[in-house]
Amino acid sequence: MRMLLCELNRIHSHLIFLGTAALELGAVSMFWYCFRERELIMDLYEMVTGQRMHTRYFQIGGLAEDIPEGFYPQCREFVEWMPHALNDYRTLLDRNKIWLERTKGVGLLSADDAIALGQTGPILRASGVDWDLRRDQPYLAYANVDFQVPVYPEGDVYARYRVRVDEMRESTRIVDQCLRRLERLKGQPWITDDRKVVLPPREELHTSMESLIHHFKIVTEGFRVPEGEVYVPIESPRGEQGCYLVSDGGPKPWRVHFRAPSFVALEATATCTHDALVADLIAIVGSLDAVMGDTDR
Amino acid sequence: MNYTALPGFVEQKESFGETTITIDAAHIRTACAYAREELGFEMLVDLVATDYLGWGSKGVSGYIATASGRDINFPSTQGLQTLPAVKPKRFSVSYHLLALRQPPVRVRLQCWLDDGDELPSVISVWPTADWHERETYDMLGITFDGHPHMRRLLMEDDWDGHPLRKDYPIGGEPVRFSDAE
Amino acid sequence: MADEPKRLRDYGLQSERLLWPTKGPSHFEQEMSADELEHALGLTTLEKAVRWAQTKSMWPDTFGLACCAIEMMSIVSSRYDIARFGMEAFRSSPRQADLLIVSGRVAHKMAAPLRQIYDQMLEPKWVIAMGACASSGGMFNNYTILQGVDRIVPVDIYVPFCPPRPEALMEGIIRLHEAHQAGLPPAYERKQAAAG
Repeated sequence: MRMLLCELNRIHSHLIFLGTAALELGAVSMFWYCFRERELIMDLYEMVTGQRMHTRYFQIGGLAEDIPEGFYPQCREFVEWMPHALNDYRTLLDRNKIWLERTKGVGLLSADDAIALGQTGPILRASGVDWDLRRDQPYLAYANVDFQVPVYPEGDVYARYRVRVDEMRESTRIVDQCLRRLERLKGQPWITDDRKVVLPPREELHTSMESLIHHFKIVTEGFRVPEGEVYVPIESPRGEQGCYLVSDGGPKPWRVHFRAPSFVALEATATCTHDALVADLIAIVGSLDAVMGDTDR
Repeated sequence: MNYTALPGFVEQKESFGETTITIDAAHIRTACAYAREELGFEMLVDLVATDYLGWGSKGVSGYIATASGRDINFPSTQGLQTLPAVKPKRFSVSYHLLALRQPPVRVRLQCWLDDGDELPSVISVWPTADWHERETYDMLGITFDGHPHMRRLLMEDDWDGHPLRKDYPIGGEPVRFSDAE
Repeated sequence: MADEPKRLRDYGLQSERLLWPTKGPSHFEQEMSADELEHALGLTTLEKAVRWAQTKSMWPDTFGLACCAIEMMSIVSSRYDIARFGMEAFRSSPRQADLLIVSGRVAHKMAAPLRQIYDQMLEPKWVIAMGACASSGGMFNNYTILQGVDRIVPVDIYVPFCPPRPEALMEGIIRLHEAHQAGLPPAYERKQAAAG
């Protein structure tokens, strides 16, 4: 389920990229279409978590709630619809002369440069480096699903667009596979029963002393994390999102640092804009998909 | 993999499935160049500095009694069960390296600094270090020797102090009815 | 009173008698003397008409700051369609915009550009503080975030939540329209009046 939501989020992120990048190059209708599908994803999110953005559903140990009734059919509907939507996008853009002129051969980034600049995710794959943490360093259940990693060697804005559209298609496939598996797992517990990290259910508080103590400890203090430092990377829609965490053994982290893919992507702007026109800057920054909230964290 | 050949190698530690190699701060640039050229770590994924001022000074508290005392009257205290291991110097700077091969190899090069120490810049090895080093300078005030433009990146140019240092006041406004007021 | 507007009669015109000279005074006019009627009708409807026109084409400035900006974008999109209220024309230039939607937290570094953009906007202008962060600093009570955008610009409408749903933002916009149509002056005028 976490993986399913991660992939939905990936589609959502790429949709916003596609919508806004095309909008910036003058293709306004792409924006409407992409946001139409985005609203479908937002509906699913709202159904599961109760909120559109800033959801809090993943939890240490599992999920915060059970998957609600009606999620499966609606998600299935979305999975069936999404490939058609992707075809729509490609019909709109693939032979669009303006789009091709503005994107092909613009913002070139060679594979060596991309690696030296620490680029990850779609930007690296659009430069011809076959690298995806979901496949190469699997987390969650990515080892158990079947998906392709799209790679384009050109390294221009157009290749980045192609990579993202293909990734949306692959993500839809992953969502589909997750759905099939989840439907078989209906009725299973959605969170671990390790009471050191997860709050006990409400009704247990009235009958069990240990539950009450655990509840009190987690609420007032949190749980203790062993001393040490870790760096955990995942493949976010924009590339490698890493979290570096130092713990001194207490319930609050000593230092948290996020490796933001946008921060690194924005750094590549200078290299990409080499020999480019000022007007292409919009296309290039759009294609690097740098989100400022991610950049300054 | 054997890392002892790295220039400035001090020690190697394995914890939580990750390898941490302590490098002498003066040798970090040659160590990085060596890791890139000889060991095949093509990518500098992240560069992060940590301030350990006041590390372990919260003391031991909570429900587990130790020699240095406990505090059961204040249950939500953020004290520790055991005192953490002593750190050699105030700042640590970690370089997270990645080798793009199957299976991927990650390693953390770490060096230790005191306030005011300079660290050789690794821009010549990985250009991506540019912004990371500027951010580190901005947030923690660690200067990198050989960086072409050691300026602030995120904060305003005329900002006072370095916000992620532990002795920097968090600021903001007092919240009413809270402990802080 | 020197400032009192001249009536049509002062110009030698007999209002609607011009168009229909033979018409006698209506019941309505008989009840409410002709002078008063002229005063009421002529002036207030003109002002209202201007206000109505202003609310129907209140162009927002594209000033996206954080996560709220995504929701601000989605009110323009096909499902929420802000064009129904004549606001689909997001202007990138503050000189063409009437409404500043501060969507997201404002860092101290961003405060100066924000104020500059606000000053460049032409009057009448309105400000919506969208989301908890813009309204009060939200959860970021620290050194870098402005504790509420109303510290630097006068705010008309606060939209709570984090981030507000598009419906919530639209509710805020409609409230702003209603307030304006009801004759409530923009916040900067109220602030000036309060300051004397």
